[in-house]
Amino acid sequence: MIRILYIEDEKEIGQWVSKELTERGYDVTWLESGEGLEQHINSKDIAILDVMLPGLDGFSLGKRIKRENKDLPILMLSARTAVEDKIEGLHFADDYLTKPFHPDELVARLEVLLRRYQKSDDVLTLQHLKIDTKDMQIINTIDEEEILLTGKQFYLLQYFIRHLNQILTKEQLYEGVWGESYIEGDKTLMVHIRYLREKIEINPAKPMIIETIRGIGYRVKQ
Amino acid sequence: MKFFRSLLAKYMLIIILAISIVQISYLGVAIFVLGITKTGTGDFSSGVLVESDIEEQWHAQAKNMTNATDDAITQLFQKWQEQFPTASMFWVSEEGNLLTTWNVKDQLPAKWTPAYTTQFIKERYGDDPFTVIAFLGDDISNGFIVLEIPRVAFNPPLIKVYDNYGNFLFFGVIAVILFFIVVSLLFFKGIRKRLLHLQEAMEIRDVDGLPIEIQVKKRDEIGQLEHSFNRMVCELRDSKQRQQKEEQLRRELIANLSHDLRTPLTKVRAQSYTISKEALSEEGKQALKAMDTSIVNIDALIENLMSYTLLMASKYKFEPKDINVIRFVREHLTTWYPVFEREGFTIDIELQSFEPVEWRVDPLWLGRVFDNIFQNVLRHANSGKYISVKTESTACYTAFIVEDHGQGMKNESNAKGAGIGLSIVDVMIKGMHLEWDIHSDHSGTKIIIKKSAKLEK
Repeated sequence: MIRILYIEDEKEIGQWVSKELTERGYDVTWLESGEGLEQHINSKDIAILDVMLPGLDGFSLGKRIKRENKDLPILMLSARTAVEDKIEGLHFADDYLTKPFHPDELVARLEVLLRRYQKSDDVLTLQHLKIDTKDMQIINTIDEEEILLTGKQFYLLQYFIRHLNQILTKEQLYEGVWGESYIEGDKTLMVHIRYLREKIEINPAKPMIIETIRGIGYRVKQ
Repeated sequence: MKFFRSLLAKYMLIIILAISIVQISYLGVAIFVLGITKTGTGDFSSGVLVESDIEEQWHAQAKNMTNATDDAITQLFQKWQEQFPTASMFWVSEEGNLLTTWNVKDQLPAKWTPAYTTQFIKERYGDDPFTVIAFLGDDISNGFIVLEIPRVAFNPPLIKVYDNYGNFLFFGVIAVILFFIVVSLLFFKGIRKRLLHLQEAMEIRDVDGLPIEIQVKKRDEIGQLEHSFNRMVCELRDSKQRQQKEEQLRRELIANLSHDLRTPLTKVRAQSYTISKEALSEEGKQALKAMDTSIVNIDALIENLMSYTLLMASKYKFEPKDINVIRFVREHLTTWYPVFEREGFTIDIELQSFEPVEWRVDPLWLGRVFDNIFQNVLRHANSGKYISVKTESTACYTAFIVEDHGQGMKNESNAKGAGIGLSIVDVMIKGMHLEWDIHSDHSGTKIIIKKSAKLEK
């Protein structure tokens, strides 16, 4: 079970979010301020922080947590929406969500962070594929065979899974996987996506897993 | 400021020095002349020769000459010659015979007729040489003696000094003038150098865009100017800090206000979400959906209101840079695509690369412009269920075109508040030196954001 540390001083919001997350299967510890943070922090998988808090504010708390626990993802959840605040928050935090928010969006963002930090123990199911996100083992559930990918195909799929449900442009994909800047007209990425589709899609001509978003890029949606 | 530290004092000192040098040099010349006369080389007789004195003396000595012999006359002539080396003298008898001559260079007739004598007197009157004619003794029986002295001998001694030592004096004066010029030049060069240094210092800018204070070395007028400059820099810095502080306070106020408005809004969302989980009638579900839409709209309105306030007060951060605008818009669309997708829109995106692909804009501003436009499409043109984002490139401009199939701007949908969102778009687009057009009719709205090629140059 994923253990969440949630700091929020507004009782109504705190109760609502805790209840909502608990119902969705998370173990939530809710504090109304940064007091007593130390005794919880080491046993958590992720932290959700409000900014305006009594005593130390969310930014100071977040920086302190990040200094001592580099591997703990932090999501800022605040009604402060100014760009300056977001920028300050994102200096140390991994994501910044503004209020009012929808609980579905909060959960989606939590899941992205947990996957990025490899803390979600879930086995990911994409259509007919079962993917173990820890060791990236891919099983075709139709014939229970393992699908083996080449280096670049593997990194490409991993990149998609890390950004699950997000649309990625050609530039973002190329730069994320190859680590070089994308040159307009380069076909390398398209070729690799075609090979990858041939391996994982049931019908590569009508891809279900790696979706083409015309005019923008690609997306892998759960 | 002490007077003696001032440039004025220095300059006055130079002037006084120059005047003193002139005075001293006059004194020097006087001493020099006096020295020459004292050494008494025959050329310069002491004192000034006066014509009337000489005339009187000559007459007196001629009158005393009772014994008019050749020897006595020669003796007299010799005596005069000693006193006036350039003088010439001769004696003419009563009968008109030229008797004794002394140092005579001109041709004189041996016989002086009354006519010649008269002509001689007429010629010499007031002319050069200075001529004195005197009868010997008490009567005219011994004839007359004539004294001729060139007029040059009557010049004052200083003229003689100039004649003899002219070059020396001339170069002396030139040297004094040159000395004065050099001293003045050095003085003004010093001033000029410091003024130029000051000017340079005024043009250098620190990282905060303000001039840098300069080191004051002297306490004269320029030193005072440098002091004033430093004071001005300090005041500028203070004012800038004050302005930044005010800006910070204003931003803080707006951020807090926005926070305080959003917190209750979040609570409303929490309540509505909780209710939505209950078993509800169809009507209840509709009401909740409307409530949710209102929450989203109020959220957008608060955001727009805050941004608009900051924009109007020119307190919205603006940091333009050159960005690949196609790539930027494409990446921006990745966040909007799922939103339109969820609403069941037909999405048509065609971003063809154009030249120049780099626009000088603030990415946050451009993002905001597109956010507001897309938000309007979502809220006011939802009925059309269509959005397209395309590029256009002509010789005059490069542009992005956002098109929807809504009911157009005139037939405003129930959701209000497009005004402020578009006002922000307008201010931001103009702020980034871009242009925009809206074409709207009952079949849809077309918004063109373009960068003119002329502006690019």
